[in-house]
Amino acid sequence: QPPLLPSWRAWYWLVLGALTAEIGFFVYLTRL
Amino acid sequence: MSTLDWLVLGSTLALIIGYGTWRTRREGQSLDGYLLGQRQAWWGIGLSIMATQASAVTFLSVPGQAYADGMRFIQFYFGLPVAMVLIAVVAVPIYHRLKVYTAYEYLEGRFDRRTRTFTALLFLVQRGLSNGLSLYAPALVLSAILGWNITLTVWLMGGLMIAYTVSGGTRAVTVTQHGQMAVIFAGMLAAGYLLVHYLPAGVGFTEAMQLAGHQGKLNLVDFHFDPKDRYNFWSGMTGGLFLALSYFGTDQSQVQRYLAGRSITESRLGLLMNGLLKIPMQFGILLIGVLLFVFYQFNAPPVSFDQALLNQVRSSRVGATILQDAQENHDALFAAKRAATLDMVTALRSSDPGLVAAAQTHTQAVDAALAGQRAAVWEALKRVTATKEGPATDYIFLTFVLKYLPRGVVGLLIAVVLSAAMGSAAAGLNSLASTSVIDMYQPTRPGRSDAEYVRVSRWAAVGWGVLGIGFATFAARLENLIQAVNILGSLFYGPILGIFVVAFFLKNVGGRAVFWSAVVAQALVLLLFWRTDIAYLWYNIIGCVLVVVGSVLGKADQPAAA
Repeated sequence: QPPLLPSWRAWYWLVLGALTAEIGFFVYLTRL
Repeated sequence: MSTLDWLVLGSTLALIIGYGTWRTRREGQSLDGYLLGQRQAWWGIGLSIMATQASAVTFLSVPGQAYADGMRFIQFYFGLPVAMVLIAVVAVPIYHRLKVYTAYEYLEGRFDRRTRTFTALLFLVQRGLSNGLSLYAPALVLSAILGWNITLTVWLMGGLMIAYTVSGGTRAVTVTQHGQMAVIFAGMLAAGYLLVHYLPAGVGFTEAMQLAGHQGKLNLVDFHFDPKDRYNFWSGMTGGLFLALSYFGTDQSQVQRYLAGRSITESRLGLLMNGLLKIPMQFGILLIGVLLFVFYQFNAPPVSFDQALLNQVRSSRVGATILQDAQENHDALFAAKRAATLDMVTALRSSDPGLVAAAQTHTQAVDAALAGQRAAVWEALKRVTATKEGPATDYIFLTFVLKYLPRGVVGLLIAVVLSAAMGSAAAGLNSLASTSVIDMYQPTRPGRSDAEYVRVSRWAAVGWGVLGIGFATFAARLENLIQAVNILGSLFYGPILGIFVVAFFLKNVGGRAVFWSAVVAQALVLLLFWRTDIAYLWYNIIGCVLVVVGSVLGKADQPAAA
């Protein structure tokens, strides 16, 4: 039972989601 | 450096190292206390992992790389968060439940003594040889720019680092790393703030980003795959992922950081913290390099950032004359460039595409004239003084710091460089000592007292520390040797990762199959290295895949093991 989020799976998706958002932001800056 | 800078530098380092040594003065009373120390919460693990990975080169070279070539370097970190998740899921529970002190210790229970010793030896050779280089590289830059004696600098840094690592073990490394990370964040924030502050009136952060973007510096993502280039999206997601899996999953200098977690939960969260913060942190350091580039659109950069090279040129009368003549010509051209760049800012603010295009054409023309003049100067210098312009990316950031930043802040940024160097080298040294005592000494001399094992690991730390620095000082005269050591790491990493992948995922493969697969894979990787020109990035994946395939084929003719 990890802290803050309901499950470890949620934590893993948070990290991978953050990575996706970062890459999305970088693609936006590059294309700009 | 002013007196105030020396005061800031000295007191910062003394405070961090003094506090770390004092806090951990009782950690040598048991082997467990010495090797892992008081167990850590997630944030302590996360900071320690980040401090271990960030060496001085991170803060010296990365801004210079962004200055010269934009932010494309960030792509190599895209695989890192994925690796953090995989290691948190697979490796952390196994290491924790078996209560191991080193990653290689696990391999004996899973396979056999031979596989454990082989893997530990590969680690000791590559980390033992390369660890001193992370102290030597910044000492080289500091000696070139500040005129410090290089041998004295490297042994002073090394001596301090060995002293606190030997005295307090893993916990001393971790406690000092927390202080070092605080200094690193403070120093980099101060540098970034002052860079924006020093831009001309009317040029703020937004305008700086627009200027950098129009000059091609915001090249963050490139979807064109090039196997020879590690800085594109696909190389980052494959090569970068495998490198992160090797480094964080099987390299004792990192594994030891999260073995010191209070529980599986704390270790996992520490790794995930690194997965969340690493890319933003690298983005910040690269951003400083881009701001540096914008700063030098308004302030004339030196003919070369390599101070030693400039001194060499000036030492001949002809060279000095060429430089002086060039300077007058350059000043007039640079005034035109500065004006053109300010026009560009005005055009960007108007958002009129026609104005922007015209301003851009004008800036490019002035830039071309400047580049032409620069090339002519170097051509003349090459003819009369036999010097040529080398890549000076390592010197760009520190040259700016010394010339433009206020007193006190300079001392803080030198402290950043030294802290980063000592933080990562201490973690390497501490892991070399642990592996020496746990994987080499204890198996051959079991059942001895804790006091003896602690004494052996302390002497191992002294030995590896002196060997690493001595080797770096010796290798410095041989440029190729330094490169060879760095290459060695990438050649060993693949088979080591392969052994761990088999251990974690192929439960019915035993020691004999994996050991011989690893030996053959290592030989094949070395053969490929000598016979082909594959980019180093891919050896890691090739070595890993060879071990896994070999193990699957090899287990067909042997009984299954535990």
